[in-house]
Amino acid sequence: MQRILLAIIVCLMTSQIVIKNCYSVEPDEFLQNPKKEFRARNISKNIRCLVCQNQSIDESSAPLAKDLRILIRKKIKQGNSDEEIYDFLTERYGDFILLNPPFKISTLFLWILPFVFLAVGIFVIFLHNNKSKKLDYNK
Amino acid sequence: MKKKILISPIILFFLILLVFFYLLIIDRNPSELPSVLINKKVPTFEAKSLLENKTFISSNEFGNETTLVNFFATWCKPCLDEHPYLKKLSNEKGLKIIGINYKDDSKRAIKWLEKLGNPYSSVLVDPNARLGIDWGVYGLPETFIINSNAVIKYRLVGPITKKNYDAFVLKVKQVEK
Repeated sequence: MQRILLAIIVCLMTSQIVIKNCYSVEPDEFLQNPKKEFRARNISKNIRCLVCQNQSIDESSAPLAKDLRILIRKKIKQGNSDEEIYDFLTERYGDFILLNPPFKISTLFLWILPFVFLAVGIFVIFLHNNKSKKLDYNK
Repeated sequence: MKKKILISPIILFFLILLVFFYLLIIDRNPSELPSVLINKKVPTFEAKSLLENKTFISSNEFGNETTLVNFFATWCKPCLDEHPYLKKLSNEKGLKIIGINYKDDSKRAIKWLEKLGNPYSSVLVDPNARLGIDWGVYGLPETFIINSNAVIKYRLVGPITKKNYDAFVLKVKQVEK
């Protein structure tokens, strides 16, 4: 029984690793310098593929995603900072290309609304609780 | 008063539902992105010409008249459908159209234009999508309207078709004003 359990656990763990490492970067795209390659991968994970819009360019095999991955690596080789690369891309494709939307006036609602809803929810539960407590006392 | 507050989440829920329903039924394409280049100067670039042995320098070409920039490729079926309408814009409206042959085989592109006719005043090659990225292109065909001050005023993602041709001409006229 223990062996079976162990086998299941190992299976689950390895499948996790496989899923986590699911990406579309092709071997010929890799940079020689592992530090620079790591930076490129990190940037790619934050850039939306505009063809299949809910994937990052790290996961997408669309031609545009590949072009952008190569461009990012070229920019890193040329000595551009991460910030400069993000700026380069948003100047051309807008904030939509970032999978993590920046905090701006235009995205204020996006960031604040969940907290507003949470506050409203807590308030409603609190009121409801108070009401039912009072009913209990009346009994 | 308390009842009103308790009912408010339900009302809010239905309001949100209404908004979603409205967005569902109106005529819109949710994957279509607004261009951030609108009301900005055209990107400066140099590119090789497909048909002539010369270099195209953007700063010499924009800024005199209303100009269209059309990204196309022979592998793109909608581009083929769009082609007659580009010819119509060039022949009937006398518009200057600059074609950018995006990630394509040059020989094929030359044959394509010989067979179908060439509506472009110049055709540039963009073998590695570098120009496309500068223009924020993400799906072919894409057409930009540039005014006489070299400012991008409009972008159409997708082909010019029978359905949107008149609306597109109207957009060009608005830009020309």
